[in-house]
Amino acid sequence: MSASQFFGAVIRWRWPILILSLLCFLAIASQAPKLSKNTRSDAFIDPQDPALLDRDRVEALFNINDPIVVAVVNEAPGGIFNPQSLALVDWITRRLQQVDNIDPDQVTSLATEANIVGTEYGMEVEDFFATAPSTAARSEWMRNAIDNFPLYQGNLVGREGKTTLVVAELLDEDRAADTYEAVVDALQDAPLGAGDSLHVAGEGAVAGYLQSYIDNDAKRLNPLAAVIITVVLFVALRTLRGMLIPNLIVILTAGSTIGAMAAFGVNFYTITNGLIVCMIGIAVADSVHIFSQYYEEIALDPGAPAQVVTLRAMVKMWQPVTLTTFTTIAGFSALSATTTMPPVFYFGLFGALAVFLAWLYSMTTLPALLSLLKPKASRAFSHQSGKAASLSVSSRLLARLGDWVLRRPYTVAALGLVLAGVAGWGAFLVEANEERIANFKSSEPIYHADKTINALTDGTYHLDIMVESPDPEGLYQPQALRKIEQTQRYLEGLPHVGGTVSIVDYIKQMHKAVNEDQAAYYTIPDDPQLVAQLFLLYSASGDPTEFEDEIDSERRFALIRASVDENKYSNNKVLVPLVQQWLDESYAGTDLKATVTGDINVSYHWINPIVNTNLMSVLVCIAAVIVMSALLFRSGIAGAIVVVPVALSILLVYAVMGFAGVWLGVGTSMFASIAIGLGVDFAVHTTHSIRTLLAERSGSWEERLRPLFPTTGRAQLFNFLAISLGFSVLITSDVPPLIKFGSLVAVAVASAFFSALLLLPALALLIKPRFLSGGVE
Amino acid sequence: MKPVYLLFLALLPIAASAADDAGHDIMQKVNARPDGEQVRRDFTISTTDRRGVTRVEKTIAYRKYFGADKRTVMFYTEPTNVRGTGFLTFDYSAPTADDDQWLYLPALRKIRRISSSNRGDSFLGTDLSYEEIKKENKVEISDYRFTLLEETTCLERPGLLVEAIPVSDRIAEELGYSKVHYCIDPAIWMARHVEFWDIAGNHLKTISIDEVQEIDGVWTSVDLQVVNHKTQHRTRLQQDNIDYSVEIDDQVFTQPYLRRGLR
Repeated sequence: MSASQFFGAVIRWRWPILILSLLCFLAIASQAPKLSKNTRSDAFIDPQDPALLDRDRVEALFNINDPIVVAVVNEAPGGIFNPQSLALVDWITRRLQQVDNIDPDQVTSLATEANIVGTEYGMEVEDFFATAPSTAARSEWMRNAIDNFPLYQGNLVGREGKTTLVVAELLDEDRAADTYEAVVDALQDAPLGAGDSLHVAGEGAVAGYLQSYIDNDAKRLNPLAAVIITVVLFVALRTLRGMLIPNLIVILTAGSTIGAMAAFGVNFYTITNGLIVCMIGIAVADSVHIFSQYYEEIALDPGAPAQVVTLRAMVKMWQPVTLTTFTTIAGFSALSATTTMPPVFYFGLFGALAVFLAWLYSMTTLPALLSLLKPKASRAFSHQSGKAASLSVSSRLLARLGDWVLRRPYTVAALGLVLAGVAGWGAFLVEANEERIANFKSSEPIYHADKTINALTDGTYHLDIMVESPDPEGLYQPQALRKIEQTQRYLEGLPHVGGTVSIVDYIKQMHKAVNEDQAAYYTIPDDPQLVAQLFLLYSASGDPTEFEDEIDSERRFALIRASVDENKYSNNKVLVPLVQQWLDESYAGTDLKATVTGDINVSYHWINPIVNTNLMSVLVCIAAVIVMSALLFRSGIAGAIVVVPVALSILLVYAVMGFAGVWLGVGTSMFASIAIGLGVDFAVHTTHSIRTLLAERSGSWEERLRPLFPTTGRAQLFNFLAISLGFSVLITSDVPPLIKFGSLVAVAVASAFFSALLLLPALALLIKPRFLSGGVE
Repeated sequence: MKPVYLLFLALLPIAASAADDAGHDIMQKVNARPDGEQVRRDFTISTTDRRGVTRVEKTIAYRKYFGADKRTVMFYTEPTNVRGTGFLTFDYSAPTADDDQWLYLPALRKIRRISSSNRGDSFLGTDLSYEEIKKENKVEISDYRFTLLEETTCLERPGLLVEAIPVSDRIAEELGYSKVHYCIDPAIWMARHVEFWDIAGNHLKTISIDEVQEIDGVWTSVDLQVVNHKTQHRTRLQQDNIDYSVEIDDQVFTQPYLRRGLR
């Protein structure tokens, strides 16, 4: 079947096609409300990742969860040890115990903890707040008590006494976001003393923040992108149908894609807002090219009926639109195939689906609709048929640019080469790094809370070591406990590790307490029976689950928690391998087994392959584009030429990242692939137009290529404006990764557009490859 | 239905204060239940964590009244590594007096005095509080306002459901409860099934006494289970070799005896 026959059939069967399109859309899009949001950081990790499985196993074993943390900070010389700050701690503790979804029995602060002191006759267990700390003397007593109680130093109370934490565990962690909001509300009335400030942090807070970010973004960004694109469409096409129909294609594409995500049970992740903007750009791009041709056909033959004009436009445009669809699908699929992160995998997969759907609707619904509408000329195209003097402003500017390019192909190629050189240098400056808190603007309270708490305590991130004995009660053995102690000392010597806690610290504290508080007894007892009895002693007043964070009830597994002040890949890639090596050497020959785990280890293990495979991912995308272009144009050289502007634009993205200090991390690792998928359209359209012009026109190559700029160039200009302005909307997002995503994709699309429009004609003139001319000079 | 419950229930709709009186009277009857002047018994304490791992500890315990005060001594017999560890406790009836508590650690060969625990603190790592252990299935009347809610069944026996609300926030915090529901078996005036809510109103734990026996004329809980609904931790407290008639020398409740222990 020829294109003409196919689109003739589409036009003949337009009503069934329109009804079918609508029904398909409604059926799929009706699934969209089922879509559920997922803003947890774990969402970015493969559920089968061994580091994640290890951490989940350890968290289940030791019942570790993600609490909400409120820090009371007072940076005055006396720190928080003053009656007002301590009264504030008491107030916050009691207030949090009343907040819905907070377990009142699992709120830990100075107001809930007891001081254990050995005396000549025995042991005093006294609540820190047994007597309200209403005097300076009592506050000072508390400072001294903490100074003599190493277990609380660095975690419950900052080592310099400038902060203390109120840690609240949740009954249901899935409701963390609402609980965070409730905590922030509850603290509005907190009786702050002079110099006191409050900070709220924790995974619940982070997830809650991201969720409200996503909601706010979705409400604002998508309509804004639609408005901007409509304006671009108006400027480009200057007709009502030119504004409305591409928007209809966007709605059909986005609704069907989101509906399909929901139907397959795929979550709406933090980055999915970026996919919606992508879809808008993709769907509009196809429409802009078809509409441009449609109006050119009307201008050429003003009296032709709707069905004829539509048929002519579709017959001319189906090929380049289909070619770009294939190459963009290749780009998105390569992204899916090379990522280790589920949200990126689905981004690539559903991005590819969106490209296909946009193509399908543009090839069926769009001509069916156009054939129903009476042809009306667009002012933007009315005088284009040959009279250069009366071209629109954009066409005139592009025509002038074209003249310059066609006169100076060597200069253009040389400029391209210089730009590639500078970009290559910039790309070398890119630093592979990732820090989750950097996903928030530095002006946000959550960012400030993280930085303040981590500066004033040992750290809120954890590198954990699980020590396992082969036998139940094996950890009562002094040699096992000494190994744990030795591991703690090693960890404490590492950069960014503020301190460590393990069951050994409790045993030593109890050993000292039953020996009249003599410092010499802050040791591990030599007798395993005494160890067991000290445990029993501690349980005399402890909760049944008192030690579950440190040791299991069979006394086979113990957890060493090292507090780390930053969860940054550049630190973790040093820390984790070092610890692993030390454990391998140090535990060899013992019957104990040590496993590295914790959020630091998980971060390291999932970011490491992302950084390492980024280059591979980009190369696979580029290879996919080369192969696809070579197949479509049936020429190896075509693949090599089409890829030049794409490769240059990617190099420029890396250069911008390198010069601007944007890290190559979780989010940024996908920019390049998406930019390839979107940017290749310009190269394919330009190459296709060059070939058509060379075949259809006569004269020198320069003369034949001259119309490229005011026609295809103009359509591409508005295509580029629609996509890059659409992505620029993301710059107004509240989520820094989306801001970077929007800016970098806009840079990539702009550079892909200019590279394709300037470099490809110049290269065509310089190389004159056979696949363009078909061997005809 | 026995006339006495009919009377309680008939009073319910009339006035809240009358219902309060009914609840209060029921709890007075519970507290009046004899529990023996002295007793010797073996406890088996089984604690089960979230993962289903159970630890079993066994003790021998003696308890004797000295006037209104009560003294208890308890020695661990199992597991072996804590064998001989002993606790001696003097509970004073005066509400203002702090209890005295001593501990003997055989591995250290030292007696250590431990400052008294809070009433709401966990007892030796179990899901029972010191208050519940000390009261032995009875209740401090002055802590709560009681309301008889309904006639019901407790563990498939006819029972009376009494709601207890702490008289003040301070008491609620001390005990760790905002509300308690006692299901009383009026045949023996013992709470057979008790539900607790924490100070924020979350369902906290359930105590059920699965088996009672009348020994030497004293109704005794021989198998008690506690489930903490928040932590999924469980405790089973079984008693056997119970003897209320045994003569227990006062010397048993002294520090030298604590040191001598199980020898």
